[in-house]
Amino acid sequence: MAKLKSVLGYSVAALGIPIMIAAVLIWTVLPQVGIQFVSATGLKHSANWSGGEVVRTINHGAYETRVHRTVFDALIGERSEGFVQVAWSPLDALPARIDEEIDADGDGQADFRVEVDTANKASTLTPYTSWVLGLKGTYRLETVVLEGTAFRLNETLAVRVRLRNPSR
Amino acid sequence: MTAPARTQEGSSRMPIWKAVLLTLPIVPFASSHLMGELTSGEAPLIKIIPALLVWILLTVVFFLMLVTGKTYRYRSALFILVAFALPVYLIPQLFETFGTNMLTEEMTLSARAKFCPMTMPMVLLPAIFKGVVVFPGLVVEGALWFFLWAGASLAVGRGWCSWGCFFGGGDEFFSRLRKKPVIKQVDRKWRLLPFAILLAIVLLAAVTFHPIYCEWLCPFKTVSEFEAPTTLRTQVSLGIFISLFAGLVVTLPVLTKKRIQCALFCPFGAMQSFFNKINIFEVRIDPAKCTQCKRCIRECPTFSLDEGSLESGKALMSCTKCGQCVDACPQGAISYHIKGTPIGISPNVARVLFLYPAYILLSVVGGHIVTYGLWRVLKLITTGSMI
Repeated sequence: MAKLKSVLGYSVAALGIPIMIAAVLIWTVLPQVGIQFVSATGLKHSANWSGGEVVRTINHGAYETRVHRTVFDALIGERSEGFVQVAWSPLDALPARIDEEIDADGDGQADFRVEVDTANKASTLTPYTSWVLGLKGTYRLETVVLEGTAFRLNETLAVRVRLRNPSR
Repeated sequence: MTAPARTQEGSSRMPIWKAVLLTLPIVPFASSHLMGELTSGEAPLIKIIPALLVWILLTVVFFLMLVTGKTYRYRSALFILVAFALPVYLIPQLFETFGTNMLTEEMTLSARAKFCPMTMPMVLLPAIFKGVVVFPGLVVEGALWFFLWAGASLAVGRGWCSWGCFFGGGDEFFSRLRKKPVIKQVDRKWRLLPFAILLAIVLLAAVTFHPIYCEWLCPFKTVSEFEAPTTLRTQVSLGIFISLFAGLVVTLPVLTKKRIQCALFCPFGAMQSFFNKINIFEVRIDPAKCTQCKRCIRECPTFSLDEGSLESGKALMSCTKCGQCVDACPQGAISYHIKGTPIGISPNVARVLFLYPAYILLSVVGGHIVTYGLWRVLKLITTGSMI
């Protein structure tokens, strides 16, 4: 028994070497392992950072509006307050001024109106419903998006609007 | 292997021919940055020179570890070098890419923060249960760090904290400045603090979906990147992490000669302690040789040895396998040990089997940082700018 434990001990200890080699190889020269791991597991950023998935895209010709889902994410259940991100991506160019009514919850009714000066990011928000609390911020974002096994740089102008969770 | 020669200090020297032979497997890892540059197609001399110097340094140091039988002094020198090279390597890179090392809100929302293995305690639960990464860095970069962290944790347990961590050399340096401590006694109850912080940040990160430790507490933001202090929250957190750096990384290590940040605060280190429970390597005390002089307890930089250790013959789970007690014991009673094997028989086999994965980690991660830190210095000397 003592001899068996000894043999097992040395064997496991020796295994540490190929385990470490594999780990450093993945970290240095095998990034495709990381890419495939992310693709296979579907790991994505918390909506706090990404704004959540895009649920509606409106094509305006020279640019498109992407309305993200409302974000009330919590580990269990939902939070009482959250936000919705609305982003504008140039297909050709963004206009000098964006003035758009946004349906945040997909019920066909506009929930707020946002006006954005695309040069200096000055924005105003006009809520149409009581659960729209106010403007959180206006941002020029450059996000790296993994599509399949390739990366794409996504440049957008975005606003985040604070919301009260209507279901709570 | 035959029993090695032991010096009066208790180390295990090795014949030169054997040390040369056992150093050979380390050469590819020590030269990984040089090979990377030579095969990159560009290979400017200004990058080849630091990679070559680092290759030679890493190879020679490993050889010296084997031939002298001493671990701590050589590991510590490299470990400190990595920590000082880190800001030289990272901050100019951030300026080159973003024009700043201060993260704006737009940069965090664009997920452009640099991933760091210390985020692991906070990202794991939301990743497992919700499939989301709560740190604003590239998810693929996080996955690569996950694989490195997982492999290193299995291979060396909390040895990460003395061989892989690119921050720990900072408080190790300051802990070695004075010959004698000013504060000689530190209440051992403080050893529980990192575990309490670990529990708090894991739960808070899971509830808020924010990397709480990174946002509020990590003192090493002082030498890397941090949120631009443009709001009250970011200004308060700036004050907190600079204070923690000054206290836990600089002042208290100088006064106590202990790695205070690593031993008494770092929640990542606390998490790594649990990996020591399953890691095959440990530090053991041979009761037949121990004379209870307690020099090991005094010398241990992370409070991982106490009177209970002398009775049980085992270092505590917080042991970072730095080698200090092994080298310090005048009786040669302390050694690296493989669980399940007899104590005191062939300690050099256990030491070498531990040194390989630990040094591979140090060579690849630390070597990368030192190589490109040196490159930045050469760039400054030759062009007047680091970027």
